[in-house]
Amino acid sequence: MTTGTTTTTDMPAPARPPARAWGAMVAAEARMVARDTGGLVVPLGMPVLILVMNGVAFDTGQVVPGTGGATAFSLYVLPLTLTLVVATVGVINMPSFLAAYRRTGILRRLGVTPASPAMVLVAQALVGVVQIALGIAVACVVAALAFDATAPASPWLAVGVLALTVAAMYGVGMLVAAVAPTPQSAVALGLVAFFAIAAVGGMFGPRENLPDVLAQVGGYLPFGAAVDGLGAAWAGVAVPASSWLGLSLATVVPGALAAWLFRWE
Amino acid sequence: MTSGTRAGPARVPSVEDMTAISVTHLHKAYRRRRRTTVAVDDVSLTVDEGEIVGLLGRNGAGKSTTVETVAGLRTPDRGEVRVLGLDPRADRARVRGVLGVQLQEPRLHDALTVRELVRLHRSFHRAGRDPDELIDAVGLTDARDTRVEKLSGGQQQRTSVAAALVGDPRVVILDELTSGLDPEARHGMLSMVQGIRAAGVTVLLVSHHMDEVERLCDRAVVLDAGRVVASGSPAGLVAEAGLPRDGRLEDAYLVLTGAATGATSRGQRRHPSAAAHAPEATR
Repeated sequence: MTTGTTTTTDMPAPARPPARAWGAMVAAEARMVARDTGGLVVPLGMPVLILVMNGVAFDTGQVVPGTGGATAFSLYVLPLTLTLVVATVGVINMPSFLAAYRRTGILRRLGVTPASPAMVLVAQALVGVVQIALGIAVACVVAALAFDATAPASPWLAVGVLALTVAAMYGVGMLVAAVAPTPQSAVALGLVAFFAIAAVGGMFGPRENLPDVLAQVGGYLPFGAAVDGLGAAWAGVAVPASSWLGLSLATVVPGALAAWLFRWE
Repeated sequence: MTSGTRAGPARVPSVEDMTAISVTHLHKAYRRRRRTTVAVDDVSLTVDEGEIVGLLGRNGAGKSTTVETVAGLRTPDRGEVRVLGLDPRADRARVRGVLGVQLQEPRLHDALTVRELVRLHRSFHRAGRDPDELIDAVGLTDARDTRVEKLSGGQQQRTSVAAALVGDPRVVILDELTSGLDPEARHGMLSMVQGIRAAGVTVLLVSHHMDEVERLCDRAVVLDAGRVVASGSPAGLVAEAGLPRDGRLEDAYLVLTGAATGATSRGQRRHPSAAAHAPEATR
């Protein structure tokens, strides 16, 4: 047994994780996402499949008047596909990962290390953004090569709408993660949320074919708001107020609710 | 060496002594659906720096609640917990840097390999041990590139121990260190604990294995139904149970907890001679 007295110089210093811990956490999250085959393939593959099917099945090659030569494919199918990429990662993938972490106690385990469980949230969000960027790149390349899709007439506007779409879908996804008690229920709730906003947002056909009320509501929900906003950016026209409002509300309201409801354990 | 009973709840924590862990009049209850279960009731214990103290007791005795409160994972309802003079909840940032915790359930990123996981935990600390050396030390050399999800329960437990030790902590909590391990792996883990103690690390060891407590621990604290019923050196507990000098700790444990006589309630279980120790499991 040791003897003697401990002096105040032995007082432990605050243990903030070094900067490399953030890199290590992001790398670990990226490895885990890459090793989850379904979670990796679905956000990248499913939107591209829908993009190709829409491009092949419908005559979307005609130029829409007053858009500087953009085709219907560029104005409707591509925005829909990009929104799908963001929604699958934000609303389905991320909540299931976080719910699994909570269920298995990993967040609790990290609570006894200098790493904050919040690091997991940040790392997971960053990896999701990379996954989204990859999905968008794949979709744009396929769209350009196979269907002569054009670049957005207002590229920075498109980037802005995409960024807000990511925030909105993450907001919805965090709410799903906050209320889902198990990983299975997170997937189920995520799918319900995804199909609810996608169905009224134009995923299964033009919103104009829906009843008026649903079509209008769909324009304010994040999926429809994103499709409208991206379509406007591709056409080079003003983004509808319903898009800005819908995406902003979807970021703030579910995000605040998630922050209130989220449990680490 | 510290001696005697520590001060009561009003004691102001100080690092001007050699106490690594102090638990004073800890009380913790869980409430679920209008039902309250008292997990820990007025538990007090201390662990001096460099000491290995065993925490014994049957399932549900309050061992894991006690160590999880020491680790800062639970908030005491009443009482006080200090690690190196610091409150594990209020001073989390300081305590996490010096405390290594192996929880009863491994709870690891199971899609990572052993090496990736231990390196990840090493990255949380500014200084620490070499992950590869530690993986060798816990006997996972051949499994270092295997994903955690594909490991056996014992191997996951060893991975968890490596993750707990990689930050080179001053105080370590090991909750059922050897459960699920084969004899060879168990021997290796016990040798490793002796090694970290030789380096001056303080260990609070939760265990059901009396032989490993006898082999490793300077002192043991026996919990039963959330209360301390006895504490002392393994030899002291044997004597306290009224057994011959060469008696086994396991027999002493059974006597002290009343299990040898089949007593089941808290009051029945408590050995009369333990009264001198409870609730203060300090020396």
